[in-house]
Amino acid sequence: MSVQTAPASPTTSSTAHRRRLVSAEILKITTTKMWLGMLIGVVLYIGIGVVATIFAPTQPGVDVPTLETADGMRNLFANGGGGYVFAIVIGALGMTQELRHQTLTSMLLAEPRRNRVMVAKMGAYGLVGAFYGLVGIVFGYLLALALLPLKTHADLPTTAMWQIAGGAILGCALFAVLGVAVGTLVRNQIGAILGILVWVLLIEQLVVVFLPKVGKWLPGGALGGVLQATGFNGTTYLPVWGGSLVLIGYAVVFGMLAAATTQRRDVT
Amino acid sequence: MTEQLRTEIAPDPGRHGGPVVSGGTRGATIEVTSLTKHFGDVVAVDDLSFSVQPGRVTGFLGPNGSGKTTTLRCLLGLVTPTSGSATIDGRRYHDIHTPARVVGAALEATGFHPGRSARNHLRVLARAGGIDERRAEETLELVGLSDSVNRAVGGFSLGMRQRLQLAAALLGDPGVLVLDEPANGLDPEGIAWLRAFLRYLASEGRTVLVSSHMLSEVEQTVDDIVIIARGKFIRACPLAELTDHGQRLIVRTPHAEALTAALLGVAPDVHVVVQDDGSLLIDNVEAPTVGRAALESHAELHELRPATSDLEEVFLSLTGGAQS
Repeated sequence: MSVQTAPASPTTSSTAHRRRLVSAEILKITTTKMWLGMLIGVVLYIGIGVVATIFAPTQPGVDVPTLETADGMRNLFANGGGGYVFAIVIGALGMTQELRHQTLTSMLLAEPRRNRVMVAKMGAYGLVGAFYGLVGIVFGYLLALALLPLKTHADLPTTAMWQIAGGAILGCALFAVLGVAVGTLVRNQIGAILGILVWVLLIEQLVVVFLPKVGKWLPGGALGGVLQATGFNGTTYLPVWGGSLVLIGYAVVFGMLAAATTQRRDVT
Repeated sequence: MTEQLRTEIAPDPGRHGGPVVSGGTRGATIEVTSLTKHFGDVVAVDDLSFSVQPGRVTGFLGPNGSGKTTTLRCLLGLVTPTSGSATIDGRRYHDIHTPARVVGAALEATGFHPGRSARNHLRVLARAGGIDERRAEETLELVGLSDSVNRAVGGFSLGMRQRLQLAAALLGDPGVLVLDEPANGLDPEGIAWLRAFLRYLASEGRTVLVSSHMLSEVEQTVDDIVIIARGKFIRACPLAELTDHGQRLIVRTPHAEALTAALLGVAPDVHVVVQDDGSLLIDNVEAPTVGRAALESHAELHELRPATSDLEEVFLSLTGGAQS
């Protein structure tokens, strides 16, 4: 708990100050129920993904790697990274509801240096995203390990599983940061959430399938690379490091854009 | 109206026994200098200058849409002025280290997440502002919300939200308070409470700036007033001065003509206007003169009272003047 009684002197380290702001953002998140609802979403979404991957019948004309292949096994565990959808949504919700309820105003009264407020917000939601990634991976892996014996007794790709877990946590954190940035740029809550869902669940999926050379450079495609997934008909994504760099790039560029537009905007 | 008016409101130590500075609380002067703000083609604030002194409650008055909120938002660093400046103790809001300890602000009765409790709302702000989180309970008690500490703000009445805003402003025990329409939504009891509370805060030496679109709402609270209309400066003075423009009487009589003739006989420079309701509005005259004229002219008096108490009328005439 960051209880400070003595007046902060101008020499108070800015690290302590930044940590205080992140901690205030986390307190904001934990004092309403939104994060819990989203977490339930993470679990359900990943649960459906895992079950579908294990039990879905193969469809003619669609070449999906089966569980007997290493690609198929990695795809199964990549389901654990499905929390990214909820990470980007909670990031966008977190920002747009501040604008909607005008709670941003009181934050900017407490800390008029807007860059710091924005960075703290992205940091806090990055942590929430990482938490969703972790919960998603743990749940997704446990469910997959429980159901897998019903279908196959193939060897587990242990090394890849650790890598995918790390990738999911990083990916979800970066998607949450992206969500805050998109929420800041779009501002309208419904617009931001609808836009994100249509993009993530529809447009991006279609581009990845039909224009894989473009799709792998999009945030969702880059995440596919980070999670070592293999797409339909043998589509390949970027390597793990490439996907990570692309995702980090998106988060940094959009984050800076969002911070820049906030800098001088009138808060009315 | 481009001429720049500038009025210093001098502290009046006689009135409250001088500013009392207590417990590290120190008010600071708010200085608005040639402040101008355009939103696109709209001039929200137009070359506005005034200052606000510590130890006094200052009413910042003007009709709705006159630029009060924009001025306050410029002062608080939320809106960037087109030109001019607004400072607290000579510093822009951005340049104040841990501003929540120096300035407490309450803007409109929004700014809450409906699902968050009053206490948690304040804890978030305290944590962000570098203030001990125990102040959350303390300030809720100060504003009379101790029974609703853990209730979600979504269920609060407008009056309770106003009190919560005030609690938020008081978190850092600041020497300067900036309150935008704090009386909105308060019931008469709440307004009486707010009045006493603001007077108490000013008596501790704090600077208290309160905006309102109704003079009557704050006339029993404020020491000084700053009036604006259409973004322009109208007047800044101690409240008492606003009403101090010569004797003005209202007289009701069935014998208006006889009385007027008698009055003009004894005091040639009186000015008599017959009002819509039949009463006479008489300027430049003392009540005894009217009484004597009535006696001499055998005019029957039904009413004789000073007309100067209607501040709202003065306010309307001042702010209405800027509309033309």
